[in-house]
Order: sequence, then structure tokens, then C-alpha cells
Amino acid sequence: MSFYEVQNLHFSYNEKVILKGIDVCIKEGSIVSLLGANGTGKSTLMKLFLGLLHPSSGEVILKGKALQHYSIKERASHISYVPQSTHVAFAFCALDIVLMGRIAFESWFKRASEADVILARSAMERLGILHLEKRTFQTLSGGEKQLVLIARSLAQGAKILVMDEPVSGLDYGNQLRLLETIITLSKEGYTFLKSTHFPEHALMLGGYTYALKDGYVLAHGDTTTILTEQLINELYNTNVMLKQTLCGYPVCIPAFVNTK
Amino acid sequence: MKNSFLFGLIVVSLGASMLISLALGRYEIELGTLWQLLVWKVLNLGSAPHDVTLLSNIVFNIRLPRILAVVLVGAALSVSGGAFQAMFVNPLVSPGILGVLAGASFGAALGIMISNSWLGVQFFAFLFGFIAVLAALGIAKIYGRSGAQTILLVLGGVISSSLFSALLSVVKFVADPYNKLPTIVYWLMGSFSAVDMKTLASVALPLFISTIILSLMGKYLNILSLGDDDAKALGVRVTWVRNSAILLATLLSTLTVVVAGMIGWVGLIIPHIARFLVGADNRILLPMCALLGATFLVIVDTLCRTSMSIEIPIGIATSLIGIPIFVFALRNAKKGFV
Repeated sequence: MSFYEVQNLHFSYNEKVILKGIDVCIKEGSIVSLLGANGTGKSTLMKLFLGLLHPSSGEVILKGKALQHYSIKERASHISYVPQSTHVAFAFCALDIVLMGRIAFESWFKRASEADVILARSAMERLGILHLEKRTFQTLSGGEKQLVLIARSLAQGAKILVMDEPVSGLDYGNQLRLLETIITLSKEGYTFLKSTHFPEHALMLGGYTYALKDGYVLAHGDTTTILTEQLINELYNTNVMLKQTLCGYPVCIPAFVNTK
Repeated sequence: MKNSFLFGLIVVSLGASMLISLALGRYEIELGTLWQLLVWKVLNLGSAPHDVTLLSNIVFNIRLPRILAVVLVGAALSVSGGAFQAMFVNPLVSPGILGVLAGASFGAALGIMISNSWLGVQFFAFLFGFIAVLAALGIAKIYGRSGAQTILLVLGGVISSSLFSALLSVVKFVADPYNKLPTIVYWLMGSFSAVDMKTLASVALPLFISTIILSLMGKYLNILSLGDDDAKALGVRVTWVRNSAILLATLLSTLTVVVAGMIGWVGLIIPHIARFLVGADNRILLPMCALLGATFLVIVDTLCRTSMSIEIPIGIATSLIGIPIFVFALRNAKKGFV
């Protein structure tokens, strides 16, 4: 039985066709990267996977059952969303934000229970950000904010994390630390579906890659196998070389870089 | 700790201002005598004060219903203002944002023109308050299936407000200028002078319950402020929460018009002051709005009926007091409204 997949998925937004028959199959515990130029429908596809949008035809299937047959609460217990940037208008502390992951499982009008607070704090501890619990969310750095949002997903109890360009806006060090966090969590059994603008990041994470172009899946397969020079250049209309390094890990080198 | 202290302080101020308001008026009652009367009447202790029939009549039949109505209306306007500000993630939003006040004013004016009973006026105010909000929601629905819901709602509210303001002008224009027009004008200035036990009894329960429920929705309003996608992915029924909050806030606002006509600015400035005191977490903010709004309006209403030989319409007083406070609150705008 498939874990999490879409078959022959179509989606249009106000007459504009965005996805034209997409098949994606995600295995439990895997890291799936979505690559593609701006406007190819990566975000749309993820929103369909999250159930935030409804396909024009085809359906999202989670553990053998169509996503729309899950209640919103059941869905939240399986799938969580780590947005690119959360605009928080009010002054909440980091722990409050993480506790929001428990909202679907709390009863109406009641304050968060002791058990929920313990769950939220242990999620923060796992990501090494427990010391930030009292800090106001807006005052955190981009990397810390992302970790707080991931902690929120862990507190939510969902084993599938859908991440929209998780590294955008982070500095180099925070990008690498975030990718490392993804790998660690995936080893613990978490499943990741994430979009990225950087083929290098897909390569660092390994796993599986779907390359989208013009509403179709252009190529898919093991990241290290399918991410070829040719594919990258076709996806992004670039001219880069993919060089193998001594340790077997390829790097992208743009043609304008003098490599002599 | 700090919050518990603040809540305690506001509760005490509310009680004190209600007591003082009971004592003040054309017939002034000394606080000692008032206390003696309350203890005797409510707890059946001590002895009856002099002129007990007169005093009971003034305190329990005339002043108490009015003060209770003021408390409920002050709390209702402030909580619905605070809830709307949270929903639209915008601190400049007031309870009138979706057209409810314009609709209810038009309804009241229409009621004054075509019906002779007070009940009719209240019914029309209530009816058109809801119609105006439904019109705003309908307009938002025409344009948006998804996406920028809040901006479409604001747009719908602006259109609906303008429409009902225009209709109000039409009613004023055609109303009998000797008989009906002055009544309409006075109504629109807002006043609690017409409140009696009967009015209070019919609106107290819905006002009280809706205020409590809306105050307790803070947790969900917090989540709504993250944006719709985020909230949905967290397992919150966004549309359901938003519509219930709008429904409750609309019910509260129309009922305030039914009780006391148009009272501006309270729903805008009280949430600002409350946010200044306890921060922006709606779980704490909304109950604070309710208490602060009730206290504020009791004080203003007492000033309105005691400071001059004639009663000042409360809508005028809240505007005159509210505007300088708002100018002061805007100084905080630079800091991002906390």
C-alpha cells in the first residue's frame, strides 16, 4: 500500500491550468525534494498535498485513503506544514507558537494542558531551542524561527512535514544546520516533502527528487541519479556543469566561473 | 502575576465606579446610606435607611438597570472591537468595520419613521444590523473563493457601510422634520436614558453570554492571526471560527445599538489601551477589553448624566474623550502596536 501519493492530479486556478497530470509517490521516512523554476506549481502541489487546495481532478491519497475523507483534525495529526515565513502580527513567545501545534487536540475554551506544555517543550528540546522558549517570536533570527516552526510540527504529532522552501532567507550556516536537522529527523522516521530553489540542497539531502516544469513532472527518481547537468540546465535555463568530487558528491559550477 | 494584579485592579475599579454611579444623580445619595440600603435589601441584614421606598425606587428601578446596561454595552463594544482587530490583524479596525453600526442606525431610523413603538425601533435596528453584515459577507463572497479573505471582507464592509449611511440620509431627508427627525438625530447621538428593566431584561442574557463566549475565543483568534493556510494546517476550521466570531461580534454590536443608539470610539480605543496594559495575546486581551470597556463606559455615562443640568448624549462624550486618547495611542503605532 502506498504511503502518501497523488495520481494524475490536475489543478487550475481561475481558468489558468497550473498542474496537468502529476503523479507523485512518497515513501514513508523519505525526503522528497521538489525542484523547478518559479511559477511551475511547486507551492500549489504542496498545498494540494496539505489539503489546503482541492484538485480539479485526481486525488491525494494518504495511507490508502483519500485526503478529503480525513477530518481536519485527523489530517493535522498526520501532516504538518512548515511555512516559508510565518507573519506573526502579535507578540507571542516561542513556546506559545509551538503550543499552537496542539490546538486541534485541545478542547474548546480550555487553556493548554500540562501534557501539551510538556510535549511542546520536549519538541523544542529535541531541536536544541528550549532556551528560546520565553523569547518573543519576532525577535528571533530567521534560522531560530524556522526551528520553532519545525518544533511546532513535532508538537503537532504529525510524522509528515511539508516545507515550503525551508532555507529561504537563512544565512549559510543556518541553511546547513537546517538541512542537517531534516536528515536527523528523517532518520527518526519523519517524512519530508519540501520545495527548494537549490539543486545543491537536494543533492545534500539525497532522497528522492521530482523536477517540475510547465505543470508536468519532467523527471523523477533518486536525487543523485536523476539530477544531471542536462536536467538542471533544462529546468532553470542555465549553463552549469555538474562535477564529481573526489568523495563522489557532485557540485554545480556555473559556466561563468573560471575553473582553470 | 502582573496580569492577575491588573485584572484585580480593574474589577475593583469597575465595582467602585458602579457604586459611585448608583449614588450620583439628580437625587444624591450618600455612600453610607447607599451601602446600608444595599446590605439591607440584598443580604437582609441591618436596618432599612430613611425614605426606603424612595431610595429603593431610585436605586433599583431607575439607576441600576441603566448602570447594568452601560456595563454590558461597554464590555460588548470593546470585546467585539478587540475581536475584529484580531481577526483582521489590524489595530485600526472598529466594530463598525463590516457595516453593522451603519445598518443598525438605518434600521433604527426607519423604525422611528414607520413605527410608533419602541419595540419596533429595536427590532428594525437589530434586523438591519445583521442585513448590513450579511451584505458585506456576500460582497466578499462574490469576489473571493480563496486567498485574501480579510481584505475582501474589509472591502465588503466599506461598501455595505456606505450603502446604509446613504439610506440613513434618505430616511432623515424624508422623515417628518417636527416629529420624527429630532428623535432620529437624538437616537444617533446615543443615550442610555431610555433604558428600563424591560429593555435590560430582553438584551442582558444574549449580551452577557456572547461577550463571555467571544472573550474565550482568544486562543482561536490567535491562530487566525497566523494566516489561513497556517491555521488550517494546524487543524483549525478557519471559516467556521471566523464566521462564529463575526456572528457573535455582530450580535453584540447590534444589541448595543438596540439598547443605546450609536456609541462610537469605545470599540476602537479600549482594545488599544488593553493591549498597552496586557499585550496582544487575545486569551488575556479580550477579557481585559470587556472589563476595561465596562469601567470606561460607566464613568463616561455617569459624567454624562451628572455634569450638566441636561444630559449629554453619550455618543458625543465618547467621541470627545476617545479622539485625544486615540491620538495618544497612535504614538505607539511606530512600535508596531505592541
